[in-house]
Amino acid sequence: MTELRRIFNYFTNNLDRISGYTLEHLILIVIAIALSVGLWVSLGILLRNNKKTADSVLGLGSFIMSVPSVAIYGILISIPGLGLSRQSAVIALVLYSMLPILRNVYVSLNEVDKSILEAARGMGMSERQILRKVQLPLALPVILAGVRVATVMMVGIATLAVYIGERNLGVLIEQGLKRSRSDMIIVGALLVTVFVLVIDFGIGWLEKTVVPKGIQSDEESKTKAKAGGEI
Amino acid sequence: MIKIEEVTKKYPGMVRPAVDKLSLNIEEGEICVFVGPSGCGKTTTLKMINLIIEPSGGKIFVNGENVLEQNPNELRKKIGYVIQKTGLFPHYSVFDNIAIVPNLLGWEEERVEKRVVELLKMMNLDPDENRDKFPKALSGGQSQRVGVARAMAADPPVMLMDEPFGAVDPITRNQLQNEFLKLQQKVKKTICFVTHDIDEAIKMGDKIAILDQGKLVQFDTPENILFNPANEFVEEFVGSDRSLKVLNLLRVTTVIRKNIKRVKEKAGIDEINKYFSHPEKNRILIENDEKEVVGYLAKEEYHKISTAKGWNKAIRIFPTSLNNHNTLKDAMSDMLQHNIAALPVMDDDDKFMGIVSFADIRSYIGEAYEENETEKDQDENEVL
Ligand SMILES: Nc1ncnc2c1ncn2[C@@H]1O[C@H](COP(=O)(O)OP(=O)(O)O)[C@@H](O)[C@H]1O
Ligand SMILES: [Mg+2]
Repeated sequence: MTELRRIFNYFTNNLDRISGYTLEHLILIVIAIALSVGLWVSLGILLRNNKKTADSVLGLGSFIMSVPSVAIYGILISIPGLGLSRQSAVIALVLYSMLPILRNVYVSLNEVDKSILEAARGMGMSERQILRKVQLPLALPVILAGVRVATVMMVGIATLAVYIGERNLGVLIEQGLKRSRSDMIIVGALLVTVFVLVIDFGIGWLEKTVVPKGIQSDEESKTKAKAGGEI
Repeated sequence: MIKIEEVTKKYPGMVRPAVDKLSLNIEEGEICVFVGPSGCGKTTTLKMINLIIEPSGGKIFVNGENVLEQNPNELRKKIGYVIQKTGLFPHYSVFDNIAIVPNLLGWEEERVEKRVVELLKMMNLDPDENRDKFPKALSGGQSQRVGVARAMAADPPVMLMDEPFGAVDPITRNQLQNEFLKLQQKVKKTICFVTHDIDEAIKMGDKIAILDQGKLVQFDTPENILFNPANEFVEEFVGSDRSLKVLNLLRVTTVIRKNIKRVKEKAGIDEINKYFSHPEKNRILIENDEKEVVGYLAKEEYHKISTAKGWNKAIRIFPTSLNNHNTLKDAMSDMLQHNIAALPVMDDDDKFMGIVSFADIRSYIGEAYEENETEKDQDENEVL
């Protein structure tokens, strides 16, 4: 009981600081996710018909994923011009999101039923029209699933960016560890979890809003999107 | 309308061409069916006409213009294309699917709207009920109907259909075939139709092109394919049950009997006796007070029933009716199903035309084959 009280007290006494950290966290994630989606979706579109290149780029993505995030931050700040800056944090997050987003874009664009593409071609649609009106809308659920995975991952990895100068929810955890303050750690961890849940919910809502009705979640398309996210 | 000249397609790495120096002409308003065993090159041939596959050699003219000299996307907007798996866009409503080509062509909204509704009606789909549905909510038959409607949306003079009715159950297939033939009488498109099913080829084709290993083996009318197969391959492909296949070819109108005497249910027995006393008059039609034909009376059955019990007992009520596009096979199958030896035939406006009977079908087929057999005998005599 006292422990709970301590956590609660810490939270209420430091509301200002905590909301500041949350805001910083949010800003970092929004910048990183916007850049990631723009970059990796475009690259996925460019590579969609080029299996060889796509395979090696995706291989690079898996490799990046396997490097510990602290090491990536370390490498980035050693690059002249980046250093201890928000750029370094953003670049690290964008690199981590490469595999989940790029892979889902590439796979989903290539998974569109051949007979649908043949019909589209047979009706005289150009390759661009086919991409815009057929492939991308049909790939959207799987792409969003990738974005969701990437975002959730980013929220966690962003906490470690406090080692390169970010002042976000990671501060609570880092400081808590340093000072053996379990109340700080728990508040930090809880807020990160809430963050993840909110993002999950937000993307779920986005899915309902932007995914075309004809392919929307009755159970079938939902399992498909999930499967896509886990490949 | 479609002229195929020495067209060849060799896929990289293949030893022999998938399509080998194919030449044929398809007249305007005709259905030409490409038929043959799996892998004989039907689909390849079809896809070369709208340049989805580029020929390795030869020329293809559609409406006098060499397709190879045209912009593929512009060409395709003028050629309807229907495939077995329909390829409907799952994220488009039925309406939007049908509107694809008109929208690509930049039609005005009102014109698109009018055309789509017209097409839905044409394909026997209720526009209000179906226009906003998504493909996943459609049955197999409905999907194919939408697929055909979509291909016809911009009223292209030429249509390519690759096993369009291949993925539905036999009853639905038969229904779709009949509807399509009826529609074709009105719209008179020039159609290339691919199937591996010889029965379907016989039923749908004005002309049939039989392919074997990329080569054209016989290009002829269904009658000639059945009665004068060009070689053993065709004979075998058509099968030993040729006489049954003839049933699929001929329409009920070939054996229909019109102008049969009609009487009211309450008619006097003398009137019937007098009519049946004529040796060639075997049937009388029974009509109700609204002058609609409801059944018939056969002479044999009539004589079996004693007059004391009244002759009405011998009346056979028609449980169903045929339409004038039905084949003899449809007729036979309905008769067997309903256990009745004759059925009425209605025209497109659902007006009574006449009746078709089991006996008439049998004698007609018998005669057709006798004629053919004697012809064959003569041929053989000439050779000797
Ligand atoms: N894209 C392709 N690449 C290589 N070979 C192909 C290709 N498409 C078809 N073929 C081959 O060409 C032949 C004819 O194929 P197809 O026209 O599809 O036959 P059908 O439609 O009569 O069944 C087959 O042997 C098939 O394996
Ligand atoms: Mg085929």
